[in-house]
Amino acid sequence: MLHPLDRKLLRDLSHMKGQVIAVSLVMACGLAMMIMTRSLILTLESTRAAYYQQYAMADVFGSLKRAPLAVAERIAALPGVSVAEPRVAVQVTLDLPWLAEPATGHIVSLPEDGSDPKLNRVFLRLGRMPEPDSRREVVVGEAFAEANGLKPGDPLVAVINGRRETLQICGIGLSPEFVFEARAGETLPDHRRFSVLWMNYRALAVAYNLDGAFNNIVLDLAPGAAGAGVIEQMDRLLAPYGAAGAYLRKDQASAIRLDDELRVLHALSFVYPLVFLSVAAFMANAVLARIVRLQREQIAQMKALGYSSRQVGVHFLKFVIVIGLLGTLIGGIAGRLMGGGLVNLYVEFFRFPSLEFRMDYRALGLALGISAGTSMLGVLSVVWQAVKLPPAEAMRPEPPADFKPSRIERMGLTRLFSPSFRMALRNIERRPWQAVFTAAGLTLATGLMVLPGAMSDSIDYLLTFQWNRQQRQDAAVFLVEPASGKGLHDLENLPGVIRAEPIRSVPARLGYAHHERRLSITGIAPGSNLNRLLDDKGNPIILPEEGLLMSEKLAEILGAGIGDEIRVEVMEGRRPVLAIPIRGLVTDFAGVAAYMDIRALRRLMHEDDTINGAFLLIDHNRWDEFMRDVKDTPRAAAVMVKRDQLSAFRETTAKSIGLLRKLYFVLAVTVAFGVVYNSARIALSERSRELATLRVVGFNLAEVRGVLLGELGLLVVCALPAGLLFGRGLVVLIMSSFSTETIRMPIVINPSTYSIAIAVVLLAAVFSFTLVSRMLAKLDLVGVLKARD
Amino acid sequence: MAASVSPPVSAGVVFEARKLRKVYHTGELDVVALHGVDLDMRAGELVCLLGASGSGKSTLLNILGGLDVPSSGELHYKGWPLDGSDERTLTRFRRNCVGFVFQFYNLIPSLTARENVALITGISRDPMTPEEALEMVGLSKRMDHFPSQLSGGEQQRVAIARAIAKRPEVLLCDEPTGALDVTTGITVLEAIERTNRELGTLAVVITHNAAMAAMADRVLHLSDGKIIREEHNATRLPARELKW
Repeated sequence: MLHPLDRKLLRDLSHMKGQVIAVSLVMACGLAMMIMTRSLILTLESTRAAYYQQYAMADVFGSLKRAPLAVAERIAALPGVSVAEPRVAVQVTLDLPWLAEPATGHIVSLPEDGSDPKLNRVFLRLGRMPEPDSRREVVVGEAFAEANGLKPGDPLVAVINGRRETLQICGIGLSPEFVFEARAGETLPDHRRFSVLWMNYRALAVAYNLDGAFNNIVLDLAPGAAGAGVIEQMDRLLAPYGAAGAYLRKDQASAIRLDDELRVLHALSFVYPLVFLSVAAFMANAVLARIVRLQREQIAQMKALGYSSRQVGVHFLKFVIVIGLLGTLIGGIAGRLMGGGLVNLYVEFFRFPSLEFRMDYRALGLALGISAGTSMLGVLSVVWQAVKLPPAEAMRPEPPADFKPSRIERMGLTRLFSPSFRMALRNIERRPWQAVFTAAGLTLATGLMVLPGAMSDSIDYLLTFQWNRQQRQDAAVFLVEPASGKGLHDLENLPGVIRAEPIRSVPARLGYAHHERRLSITGIAPGSNLNRLLDDKGNPIILPEEGLLMSEKLAEILGAGIGDEIRVEVMEGRRPVLAIPIRGLVTDFAGVAAYMDIRALRRLMHEDDTINGAFLLIDHNRWDEFMRDVKDTPRAAAVMVKRDQLSAFRETTAKSIGLLRKLYFVLAVTVAFGVVYNSARIALSERSRELATLRVVGFNLAEVRGVLLGELGLLVVCALPAGLLFGRGLVVLIMSSFSTETIRMPIVINPSTYSIAIAVVLLAAVFSFTLVSRMLAKLDLVGVLKARD
Repeated sequence: MAASVSPPVSAGVVFEARKLRKVYHTGELDVVALHGVDLDMRAGELVCLLGASGSGKSTLLNILGGLDVPSSGELHYKGWPLDGSDERTLTRFRRNCVGFVFQFYNLIPSLTARENVALITGISRDPMTPEEALEMVGLSKRMDHFPSQLSGGEQQRVAIARAIAKRPEVLLCDEPTGALDVTTGITVLEAIERTNRELGTLAVVITHNAAMAAMADRVLHLSDGKIIREEHNATRLPARELKW
């Protein structure tokens, strides 16, 4: 049996269902985002943890030129190391008949004895592992197999150490080491042109003259062992063997991408929902304040009947709780649906044996707590006012509201205003907080509207910046091994090459204070015109003769600035350790890089005209010819075609950001509409007597509408500029949360984005006004006027 | 109302109602509020409608004032048919020809007395100034006060000033003294009386209070949606001499 007060609650709520829905929907928008992102976090984190554990993701990774297997045993014996697994890992060119350009394969050896790897085990999706004595069987990565329609039994042509070999696919697999499958240094996956391959140690080692030796090693640390110490000892041990510097799991390419994604999700799960919940709290406050004012006499009656202030207070708080429950329910369902859909997008980036969406039910509880909590905070003062009123006083009708001329009028501007404008001004001044809350809601709604537009502006800017202004080459070719100047000459002589600019890239460990990053320093020729380095305004930077240029983000990671000397441990050749000052910062949006004048870099390396590859400008009429020849160049390890990278970007990052953008748009429109509707509805109810009077004395509908909407219109106009400012702030906040090593979103907001935000809010306003105007037309004039307040 | 065509009017007749019926449909029940009312009202008359609650007097007043339309029957205002008029026409009728006064004053709290009146003078064809209207109800000293700064009687007099500022042909008052004490009530009735006398306005006043009937030219007694009795006063008692 429902308590009569609860029955009253339900009936009251059903009378104001439009507003209940508006507030719950705004709340639901925020909660849906929160539940979605938190569930995605839970999904990714739990899947990753299980995968890393079951398939023994290594703790430390290292590569070197060549060391006898016995050295691996010495590493295994180092304190803190529990398992050490030596491997051979090489880059090869893959020749797929349906691709004009060569694809890249990263082959990792499987243990010689035919056993499973102890670390970074392979999850077989299809087929089987290579037979222990097989020399040609390989397991290929799932994403690559899918993108190219490969299956077990298919042949695969690879150029292994300069020799074309036809391999046989025996299985399709995945490994925790390559959840994010991409070429070293690439920030985007290109599944058609890159694959991880696994094959038997002997076949691979023999081909690369590494029989009885290894060039790659992974370790599992003993529980509680300090990674840094192990790395230091291992680097020392492997230094004579051309070690390129070991690193921890957190610095491993695939793991970094996953961490970056989780970091973005964490930021989104907080900032964005917070804005929505604030709006909802403002709205709930306005709604409840209105109910309490309307039910002044009922409150008195309840108290006269003997209900305590607490009971009455709780009764009114229940309004908010019901709205919160409804919002949580809608938000939970929407969050689940959105998350379930978005998780499929991750398959494009991240490969797990299975990625099942997991609903974060704790988030649901949190959502309910937060939504009810914030709204209650919003309404506590209103409820308090209601219950502290002595019953006798509350039962008398409220005296006419106390008004005075508005401040602007007192300045002598009265004559300028029409009576309805004066009414609006005085109303606002009499209840400034209500006006502030409404304006704040509108401000937030306008701001939210700026975000989706800014996302497209940002992507457009990024595409133009990165692929038109910065990278002007058609392709970059990288060689298997560093080569002499003759190598550049060979590349220049490929068919269709109009211009070639040399690349010298040297693996190094860059450090400043206690921060460190492993990456390659890229030497480029002064006056390079194909791969240009740009400043934050997009102007080319002149390459200094000495010193480093680096990505702004890299400098940020290292905590260094222009003029600071960076400790550079070169991991190649004579392995010098140098101190090189930063001479300038480069603006770029994907990955991080460090550059030097190629001549200065060669001087440091004590070498002549060594190159690793070249940026090429190619005559488009001879494109196919060029590609054919590159494919047949055994020394070319990888070809990066700008056009393909661009389309990969559009397919992956741009697509997922585009989806997020659409989602934000829908949410922002919902809020804009909800806030305006709610305010207009409240204005209608609070001023129905005034409006009915005006109708009775002969104002026509349009004139009365003007009076009703004048005040709201005024607030909308005030809120718009504030909203645009807030929108900019929100964009900076959200975009900064996207700012990771993988990808950074430039903060660009075109005037059209602001215009659209304004237009949508105005449109939402017009639509809500129309709805409310219809109610106004149906207002029972006589009924309202004869009723006591 | 267009002035270019002269409709056939019997001299001085403002309202002419024949077989006026009003039925409200509430759920499954039909409530007959007016049961075939016939009446004529002339310019300069002061008519009192007396009757118990639910007798149909408010319904009649609302239909006369263009706030409601009859279900059947005919209603003419100065020869022009009001029955079957659309919302626009009724709005124009209210704007130009009718002044309303209700039991609750229904002033706009955010406007001063003068501004409340100015609200009407701004939209009428030939209004008096707000100052003149307020002078007529004896409030020339309180013009710049907000409703919250005025007593109940003063607020009701502002409402009357607002109603008469447009120089209406008709002043319709629904229990104008219902919420007031005797002394204050009388000042309000005086204002109505003065308007009726000086402007020649047809004034129709609803009341529960039989004592008020003495100030009228004519008293119509309503019961169950019908006029059951009509009285004519040979002489009208001035409002200030009323007692109850």
